[in-house]
Amino acid sequence: MKRRSFLRKAGIAGAAVSTLPTLVDSFTVQALAGGDPRLHAMLEDQDRILVLIQLFGGNDGLNTVIPIDDPRYYEGRPTIAIPKSKTLKINDDLGLHPAMAGMRGLYDQGQLAILQGVSYPNPDRSHFRGTDIWLTATDADVLGSTGWVGRYLQTLAPGYPTELPAHPLAIQIGTQTSLGLLGSTGTMGISFRDPEEFYRLVNGGGGSGEVPSSDQTDTAVGREIAFMRNIAKSADVYAQVVKQANDKAGSTSTSFPATDLGGKLKVISQLISGGLKTRVYLVSWASASFDTHANQTLTTDSTLGTHSDLLGELSDAVTAFMAEMKVKGQHERVSGMTFSEFGRRVAENGSVGTDHGTAAPLFVFGSQVNGGIYGKNPDLEDLDVIGDMKMQYDYRDIYASVLLQWFGVASTTAQQLLYKDFSAKAPSIFTALPTSVGDHRGAERRFLTVTPNPASDVVAVRANVLEGSHATLTLRDMRGAVCASVGVDSWTGVGRFNVSALVEGAYVVTLEDGRSTAHTFIHVSR
Amino acid sequence: MSSIDKSTYVEAMENLEVRTSPLTIDDALHLLRRATFHPTYQAAKALVGLAPSEAVSRLLSTPVAPLADLPWATTAPNYQDFAANARLWPEMQQWWMQRVLSVPHVHEKLIVFWHNVFTSDYIRVYIAQWMVNQHKLIRSNATNYAVLAEKIVGDPAMLRYLDGELNVKGRPNENFAREWFELFTLGIGNYTEQDIQDAARAFTGWRINGVQGVYSKQLADTDTKTILGKTGQWDWKDVVRITLESDVCARYIAKRIVKQFVEFYPTDDTITNVQQIVRSANYDMVAILQRLLSSEYFYTMSVRGALIKSPAELVVGLAASIGALRVQPSYCVASMTKLTQEPFYPPTVEGWKGHHAWITSSTFPQRQRFAEAFIDGRQAGSSAKLLDAEGKNFTPDVVAMVLQLPDADDAAKLVAHVASLMLAVPVTQKQLSVLLEIMLAGAQVYEWNVNSPSAPQRIKFLLQAIVRMPEYQLM
Repeated sequence: MKRRSFLRKAGIAGAAVSTLPTLVDSFTVQALAGGDPRLHAMLEDQDRILVLIQLFGGNDGLNTVIPIDDPRYYEGRPTIAIPKSKTLKINDDLGLHPAMAGMRGLYDQGQLAILQGVSYPNPDRSHFRGTDIWLTATDADVLGSTGWVGRYLQTLAPGYPTELPAHPLAIQIGTQTSLGLLGSTGTMGISFRDPEEFYRLVNGGGGSGEVPSSDQTDTAVGREIAFMRNIAKSADVYAQVVKQANDKAGSTSTSFPATDLGGKLKVISQLISGGLKTRVYLVSWASASFDTHANQTLTTDSTLGTHSDLLGELSDAVTAFMAEMKVKGQHERVSGMTFSEFGRRVAENGSVGTDHGTAAPLFVFGSQVNGGIYGKNPDLEDLDVIGDMKMQYDYRDIYASVLLQWFGVASTTAQQLLYKDFSAKAPSIFTALPTSVGDHRGAERRFLTVTPNPASDVVAVRANVLEGSHATLTLRDMRGAVCASVGVDSWTGVGRFNVSALVEGAYVVTLEDGRSTAHTFIHVSR
Repeated sequence: MSSIDKSTYVEAMENLEVRTSPLTIDDALHLLRRATFHPTYQAAKALVGLAPSEAVSRLLSTPVAPLADLPWATTAPNYQDFAANARLWPEMQQWWMQRVLSVPHVHEKLIVFWHNVFTSDYIRVYIAQWMVNQHKLIRSNATNYAVLAEKIVGDPAMLRYLDGELNVKGRPNENFAREWFELFTLGIGNYTEQDIQDAARAFTGWRINGVQGVYSKQLADTDTKTILGKTGQWDWKDVVRITLESDVCARYIAKRIVKQFVEFYPTDDTITNVQQIVRSANYDMVAILQRLLSSEYFYTMSVRGALIKSPAELVVGLAASIGALRVQPSYCVASMTKLTQEPFYPPTVEGWKGHHAWITSSTFPQRQRFAEAFIDGRQAGSSAKLLDAEGKNFTPDVVAMVLQLPDADDAAKLVAHVASLMLAVPVTQKQLSVLLEIMLAGAQVYEWNVNSPSAPQRIKFLLQAIVRMPEYQLM
């Protein structure tokens, strides 16, 4: 999608622009780019991609990211605990489930962030309510009617669905359309299982003429007709675009596992490789569920069984997907995140399983991800009254990281999208926004880390600079005014800004070292 | 469509007064679309002129024909042989579909409604005999929620599906207890985690023996529990009793009924009114439906066409309305499956969410392709012909279908009649004229002759244009 043409369209709409605060940052970054083609390209080429993987049913976090040094884990789970020696050890007190060798590899490459204890205040233990809370990004006692992704996508296409972007904004691989993709004017995404089948369905109709729409009325029936016509319209427009991208991609270079999730991530990899500018993909299992009340593991071997199969399917599919993205040179554009409506209880039940619980780990993966462990092992002594683990991160802290650091939205926008300001606690999951460098995308990573981000006082920027070269970092606000300029220590590659006097919000950091210029964002938050 | 008098409308919403004016053909079709899977012209015509309560009473009191059992339903389960069980699942689906195609009774709609409350799926349950027996349990008790809710607790398929058989004294499994409150009786937010934990203990004592659920008091947790604020040495029957006594339960069931039969977004006032009916009828579905389907509220224009058809309603309804009910059940099952409603296989324990969840960028065109091909006597997505129940090729007789309507020789009137039979939403003059053009395909209106050799093709064009309309997905 050409972001600029959207803005132009929005501009034609006149008054609408000033009343759409979410567009302000788009305009300001346009202005900010000034005459710098690289920054302009980076700002305009808004094609970073997020792949969301939903683990419906409530993934058992304790048997996924395992506290191997905690006797209470083994006491609570005499049958289903994973023996310490069998885990894929990450450090002295933590190991991954043995089925997750692939994701362990991503961790070793610094491409997997493990966020511990993700939940929200007053967690709900219902699958359906819990899922809705995660998808709508609302407090536990608020019934949301739109999805957090849908709201974000609406900022990119405020005229949707009257004005459709050239490429679909979001795609769900499957037969449902998630609440997460729902914006205030209907779903912002399309869904299909297979690009070819989708094309045939949309274009395979008889030719005996179309009946015009009845007048749209604000009645129950009128709203349902409008609902279907909008869905039909996006299907008509996008079936061709999706097929073209799929055809253009050719065959994959990586062998994907022949599983439900493997097949779906393969389709996504093809669409990305084929040039589709879709921003968000959403997948979940068609029928398998993480709701492991019974027979979560084999009684003879706790490393095998239903849960192991599911984690193995996840890990193998994600690993193949990222490998394929790397081969196709797309890996710097793509990040992924898993989520599940809740974790499970510390103590196993009497059925070789676990009942519904609360906080659980969440994974974020990608080459731009600042890999590592965020948070600590759950405290299995300090449980809630029911026997469930307490929260370390609000799930919306992570959403804020994605919005601020991955999609580069302004913190005021993120606050609007998530209904509250979560930027202060948003962990620095992404090392830096990927630098779009026009003709040689992804050729080189110039920014290594920006920590902390968001920052409140001193922020350290570590860059990839030629030894002995003279490199500078310039910090500018979103209007383009220079706030600070510092040199980069050529030995350590680190430059530091003190941002304690700056107002909260997004800033652009520009690196210049005679070879080239690169840009990234930081956020000031208190 | 006549304009709606606002004051009448509000009053109808707020009280469920019985409508007394006789049914028109459109009213009768509305009743049949909602209460049955067979909105046919013939059935509607038989109700025209009756008072709504008389019409509804006739529908509800029609004797229910017995259903021939599957020969293997009572045989011992085969726990080991996957293939042996897997062979039985499609037989069960087709057995049900054959019944729904052949019996136009309200009862069949009610059964599907309860299956979507008390869910189970055949993959998880695995033993086909248990699934069939659960269906028969629902079939035998579909007219009383209270009886059905009590009997479902010890149903083998349910004991397997939600781990009730593994919920044992001293080591409870909360799966069934949670869904009991959340999905089967009260709805989210109307119970505590403590209620779930105590109810799980009270639901202990059940196991499966062959095709039976067996309860042993000795195996049950008989200690003190507190359920919805009431404390005692409760067993499973006490939980059922305490839960169903609650007004919240009557309200939850009232809302489910309204969403199934009337509208998807009822007001709180509407639910309150239906809740009172549910309570006074003591969960008797015949009494509840008699009252609801006879009410002014049920016939208000604002609820007509405001529900999206389920795949079952689309597939069976299309076959019924064009006189193609002898279609092979297996094809109907396969079509429903493609449209994301595989019989006996809901996506989650919540069942099918329904309404908007049915329609996506894939399923909407898929519905259109299915219906177009069906009218043409073809299977969707292939050139294969439709088959009847005996496996022989057949093409729906669309001429016979229109000949049952009045004025089949008047092209304009015929188009209007077909449109109001097929569509729950009144068509506009503009739409009617385009439909007429499509049917005539260039001929003059006075040239129309329903007996001409080109008539079948032209009627097909008309029907295909209608089923492509978004309005066709509404009921």
